[in-house]
Amino acid sequence: MDSLLLWIFLLLPVLGSILCLFLRKPKLVLAFTTVGVLAEDLAGGFLIYPVFTGSPLHTADDWLRIDALSGYHILVMLLVFSLSSIFAYRYFGKEIESGDFKESHAARFGSLWFGSLGAMSLVLLSNNLGLMWVGIEATTLITAFLICIHRSQTSLEATWKYVLLCSVGIALAFLGTLLVGAAASSVSIFHGNGLMWTVLYQNASKLNPLTMKIAFVFLLVGYGTKAGLAPLHNWLPDAHSQAPAPVSALFSGFMLNAALYCIMRYIPIVNAAAQFNFAGHLLLLFGVISMLTAAVFILFQHDIKRLLAYSSVEHLGITAIGLGLGGLGIFAALFHIFNHSVCKTTGFLSAGKLDQIYGTHDMRKMKGTIRRAPVWGSGLFLIFLALVGAAPFAIFMSEMLIIKTAVDHNQILILSFFLAAAGIVFVGVLSHALSTAWGEPPYSLVSEKSKIFDILIVFFPLALLLILGIWMPYPFREVLEKASSILGGKG
Amino acid sequence: MILEIIEQIAILLFVPPLFIGIINKMKAWAAGRKGAPLFQFYFDLWKLLKKGEVYSRTATWIFTAGPIISLASIFCAGFILPLALSSSPLGFKGDIILFAYLLAFGHFFILLSALDTGSSFEGMGASRGAAFSAFSEPAFFLSLAILCIHAKSVTFKDVFHALPWATWGFAHPVYLVAALALFAVLLAENSRIPVDDPNTHLELTMIHEVMVLDHGGPDLAFILYGSSLKFFLQAVLLVHLLLPLPSTNWYFGIFYLFIGVFGVGILVALVESAVARIRLSRVPQFLIGASILAVLGLILSFYKGAP
Amino acid sequence: MIQDANFILLIVIVLDLYIVSSSRLDTCVNATALQGAALAFLPFALWWKQASSGEMIGLLLIGAGTFVVKSLLIPFLIFRSIREANVRREVEPSISLHFSLFTAAVFVAGSFWMASIVVFPQSPPASLIVPAAFVGVLVGFLLLVSRQKAITQVVGYLILENGIFIFGQILFKELPFIVELGILLDLLVGVLVMGIAINHISRQFDHIDVNRLDELKG
Repeated sequence: MDSLLLWIFLLLPVLGSILCLFLRKPKLVLAFTTVGVLAEDLAGGFLIYPVFTGSPLHTADDWLRIDALSGYHILVMLLVFSLSSIFAYRYFGKEIESGDFKESHAARFGSLWFGSLGAMSLVLLSNNLGLMWVGIEATTLITAFLICIHRSQTSLEATWKYVLLCSVGIALAFLGTLLVGAAASSVSIFHGNGLMWTVLYQNASKLNPLTMKIAFVFLLVGYGTKAGLAPLHNWLPDAHSQAPAPVSALFSGFMLNAALYCIMRYIPIVNAAAQFNFAGHLLLLFGVISMLTAAVFILFQHDIKRLLAYSSVEHLGITAIGLGLGGLGIFAALFHIFNHSVCKTTGFLSAGKLDQIYGTHDMRKMKGTIRRAPVWGSGLFLIFLALVGAAPFAIFMSEMLIIKTAVDHNQILILSFFLAAAGIVFVGVLSHALSTAWGEPPYSLVSEKSKIFDILIVFFPLALLLILGIWMPYPFREVLEKASSILGGKG
Repeated sequence: MILEIIEQIAILLFVPPLFIGIINKMKAWAAGRKGAPLFQFYFDLWKLLKKGEVYSRTATWIFTAGPIISLASIFCAGFILPLALSSSPLGFKGDIILFAYLLAFGHFFILLSALDTGSSFEGMGASRGAAFSAFSEPAFFLSLAILCIHAKSVTFKDVFHALPWATWGFAHPVYLVAALALFAVLLAENSRIPVDDPNTHLELTMIHEVMVLDHGGPDLAFILYGSSLKFFLQAVLLVHLLLPLPSTNWYFGIFYLFIGVFGVGILVALVESAVARIRLSRVPQFLIGASILAVLGLILSFYKGAP
Repeated sequence: MIQDANFILLIVIVLDLYIVSSSRLDTCVNATALQGAALAFLPFALWWKQASSGEMIGLLLIGAGTFVVKSLLIPFLIFRSIREANVRREVEPSISLHFSLFTAAVFVAGSFWMASIVVFPQSPPASLIVPAAFVGVLVGFLLLVSRQKAITQVVGYLILENGIFIFGQILFKELPFIVELGILLDLLVGVLVMGIAINHISRQFDHIDVNRLDELKG
């Protein structure tokens, strides 16, 4: 029964993807994607609930497996997909009215949207590291044309950079995967299933440490490119700024995390083989570089979507630091993933809507957003507050936990870099946010009418962040603890 | 032994023009023409030998000495190279190095006599000839070095004996690399098509032809014969490499050699018919490529992989 | 059989060098196709003696798949993009071909050096596997950074992938052939996606010079 559900979960998007090609009306496609994603939510909910309460689920000769870690990521993924799909209905609806979103666009969007959902599910469900790699590569290829739904010079430039850089990065990750296989092939236990994560996880200490270390470097660089860790993040701001808002939200909200998830899977194996926190040290390095790079670029950024994109680089860096610190840091990092995904998704959605209203995403021309579009403007302002780590929101809590871990582990150097970068980001983002929210609007001040629907899309995630920031429900905490214990973390 | 030496001299004297004739005939066939007679080159040489010479007033003794010295040194090189698996008339320990130098020496004197005419045209040819042979020498030497390393000797006799007969190629891909590099050198040094066109008389592209424009009569005959001899010698070297001899019998070896040289001739003719001449500015790249191939071969010779 | 494998790998290395030195786009793509064809025989050459009958089917599938994808479909796709994007047939390197070739030679030497010092837990089945894989990866990177046209970047990516493919052959027994076929499919779709992107780019920009795709920065 459960394994049937798992197959349904995996194949539903594929079916949706094919069906989308046959739907004619753009509105219908958008409605269909929303309904499809909600159906996937339902399947996902039934799938991960027993995993959270009970034991991991596996099927197909152990090739597919869900444990708490993948279940947790499925939760985040479904949340991001649902929010963006519902928003896409509204966002592209506006474009249908203006005639910018035609049948061909709709079919392409719907089918690729479902396709990326399927590919990401494959990443999360596969227990074989080779299959996981195939999933990530498929994600890259499927999402490539989501960036240039509307063909323009800049969007094509972004697509090209994205495809090429990520393909090359992922090719390196494959080299890393092969090296892991090479390390496993010399130990008889692994014979024939040297790439099965569960087998590797249980017998990790028998692996050759040097080979595993080299492998992890390749994996980190490879998947890190896709996860947008600096200095391999060059594609990220371009792709995020040129893609339509729901797509940017999906990229930032979950695609980066999917790549980071792949890195996570290797952390306990590498550390057990190397006998010390080798993966953690590298993650700390990449995390700090990402935070600092992002901070510098945020300070001088005028494009609102690029600003959000660089903020993603920063937050992925924070997550990497949390993972690198180990112990409580892993718990914090996983918590941070949830917070950042929810927050950034909503951020891109609001920014996209404001982009439509103002006709630009240059912040120097987007002034007085709160008066012009009260819901989206104030929503975006609150999102900015949450993103820089303002107090009542959950991001503050997860960052606090990471800082606490750094203090506990006496990582003063990391801590100081972290605080410096966070400080710069705080100043940079808030100065932009304030002038955008309260500046003088450039022309006629007709405030945009908002539907209840808009209010829900913006304020439901914000409320979620607020609640989690103040009070973490016990079941949620338990899931997080379960997931982080897989990675060797403590609750 | 004496008989073999006499036969070797006879081969060196009479076969190279035939080799050129075969190539020209093949090229003509490939182009759908009937072509000049197979022995045309002998007629040309005979005609030239009967003629008198005209010397420019600016030319010195070098101009007359060049062709003679060049031919002499190439002929000496011919005595060093064993045609079959027995030793050659002049073979000694370390003769490979002398062989390579003698060929270069011959080329050097052609260059000198071209420069000696005092004409800017010949000077240009000499400069091109010098530049390109500077690029092809490394490939030639490195390929020979590959052979020497595997034979652990710098003597032709040992090198040819060390060449594996039965499991060539697959077992020793190094030799394939060396052969490729040597083939590139063969084409370049003998002014064949991807590098130079022996039939062209267009000053923009000529390399070898332009150097010998002022020579006539017996001098030109010496040069033409000398260059055909050099071509033949390098082809022999390639044949030894590509088709190592299964037996030490002299006549069998010679027979084998003729088949091989004939094959090389056809190969050259095919390349010349199929490939376009590359731009003069790209010639160095072609030769650098050959050198890099030879370097690859050297690396392979020293590389000890796991098994 | 090991010798056959080494022979194939040597051809692959020589083709890498040839691609770096060639100035014409068609030559590059043809050489890539040839390399793919050579690689299709590599799994056989390495493994067919010790493969069980079940693994034999895997070998056949991988060999056939590699041949079809790497030496037929992908070159076809690239040639189609060249035709449709109406690209000039020269490579247009941003560093001179002499220098590229020289760099490639240094990479070759470096690869052999690295291969001789890196110790694998299990010795590779043919001595040239590791150096050939390194050469592929490094030369792929060289092409990616030193060529201006989008098409040549695709060629660079393919060379890189081929290098990794060679490396993957060490692990034939560990890597289930379904994964290998998935990888081939990914590669094929990847090139397809890049080809389509190139066509769109050439239509929007009238060129496919990636150095001039510089509107987005900061």
